[in-house]
Amino acid sequence: MTHTDPRAGDYVVATHGLSKRYGRESALEHVDLRVPDGAVYVLVGVNGAGKSTLFKVLMNLERPDAGTAEVFGLDTGRAGPEVRAQVGYVPERQDAPYRSMTCARLLRHAAAFYPEWDHAYADHLTRALGVRPQRRVGGLSKGETRRLQLVLALAYRPPLLLLDEPTDGLDPVVRRRALALLAEHLADAPTTVLISTHHIHEMESLADHVGVLREGRLVAQMPRDELQRTVRSYRLEVPDAWAAPRELQPTGLRRSSAGRDVQCTLVGEEREVARRLAATGARVRQVSTLALEDAALAFLPEDPS
Amino acid sequence: MLVTLDPRDERPLYLQIVDQVRRALLVGTLRAEDPLPSVRELAGQLVVNPRTVSQAYRELEGEGVIYVRRGQGTFVAPTIHPDRRERRALVRGVAERALVDARRNGLGVEELVTMICEVAAEDEGEGSPSASAVRPGEEEGAA
Repeated sequence: MTHTDPRAGDYVVATHGLSKRYGRESALEHVDLRVPDGAVYVLVGVNGAGKSTLFKVLMNLERPDAGTAEVFGLDTGRAGPEVRAQVGYVPERQDAPYRSMTCARLLRHAAAFYPEWDHAYADHLTRALGVRPQRRVGGLSKGETRRLQLVLALAYRPPLLLLDEPTDGLDPVVRRRALALLAEHLADAPTTVLISTHHIHEMESLADHVGVLREGRLVAQMPRDELQRTVRSYRLEVPDAWAAPRELQPTGLRRSSAGRDVQCTLVGEEREVARRLAATGARVRQVSTLALEDAALAFLPEDPS
Repeated sequence: MLVTLDPRDERPLYLQIVDQVRRALLVGTLRAEDPLPSVRELAGQLVVNPRTVSQAYRELEGEGVIYVRRGQGTFVAPTIHPDRRERRALVRGVAERALVDARRNGLGVEELVTMICEVAAEDEGEGSPSASAVRPGEEEGAA
């Protein structure tokens, strides 16, 4: 189900066979990420799936063991500083190199670094996200740090945003406000966004591309519409001893006590799925669209418990 | 006009916006020459991708339902006749969804139409408000 188009030119972010190991642990395995220009690409995966490692490689904070990564056509390994100048990055963890600075001081510091820094917009974001200028960076809570990072990433309107769990640690009200600010931000200037999250329901209506990372492998990558068209929930009437065809990648299977009613998530174009089901003697009773999160779950292994 | 989205709705988000504008015109909460929210405003309110809003507005503009006044924003067309075209488009959408549902349940068109009439007659007999037409000013219609 991964994207097949090998051309990198149309993509703001493209990786080619990217692999990264930590000792024996494989963090990324032959990842071919493709983020089209202007997309809001949401990368989903459980913790430890390799999302943050991928972001770090794109920022040239980690070296891949194999493969390459390009951002705006630039090799991230060779042109790290040029890439970083065009990217607003919210890291998963705050390393806080400027712990003794106040937030206001750090914002001035960043403003001096980026010629495109928009002071009025930075002030607007600071107020909207409730960042308190006189607080010291080292004394911020996790949520306050996140809000400060969002101001730092957005205020110079970079053409690419890499947001690694951007709403982590934010309370529900601030989460919504942050995402609304992001939506307005995208309306103001053409921006490509790569967001990693394990709260995909929050990104439901922002995402237009979805990638699913599982144990370091990109197991699905497609436009959101395609995901919702090809991953659906089926209610079936089945003969005795029926088993779902494996090629339809059944997940979340539920069976009635008598065994004749089955509900499951299947992957494929609806018409094709119905044809294959008919061949097994199953009759489709109902088909429903899934929320983005449930559709993405079709590519993640089921809870072993 | 207040737009709300339902992520579980089968229709793509942009079509939900298109349908809600159509419905607002029908019920009268949106009238000729009324301003629509900007793409930025609506994207922020709904927390949706601004491209989704633009796509909805382009479709409505293509149908002549709304128009863009440069530098001023987006407005409902001055010569809108919601009672004809819009009503037809809205009914068509409802019919298409009902038909898809019927086919999935192995039902025929005639069965469906007959039952709709039967249910409507029953509802009217009981004086249920669900069968009465949408009145201007109501935000939520029977769709």
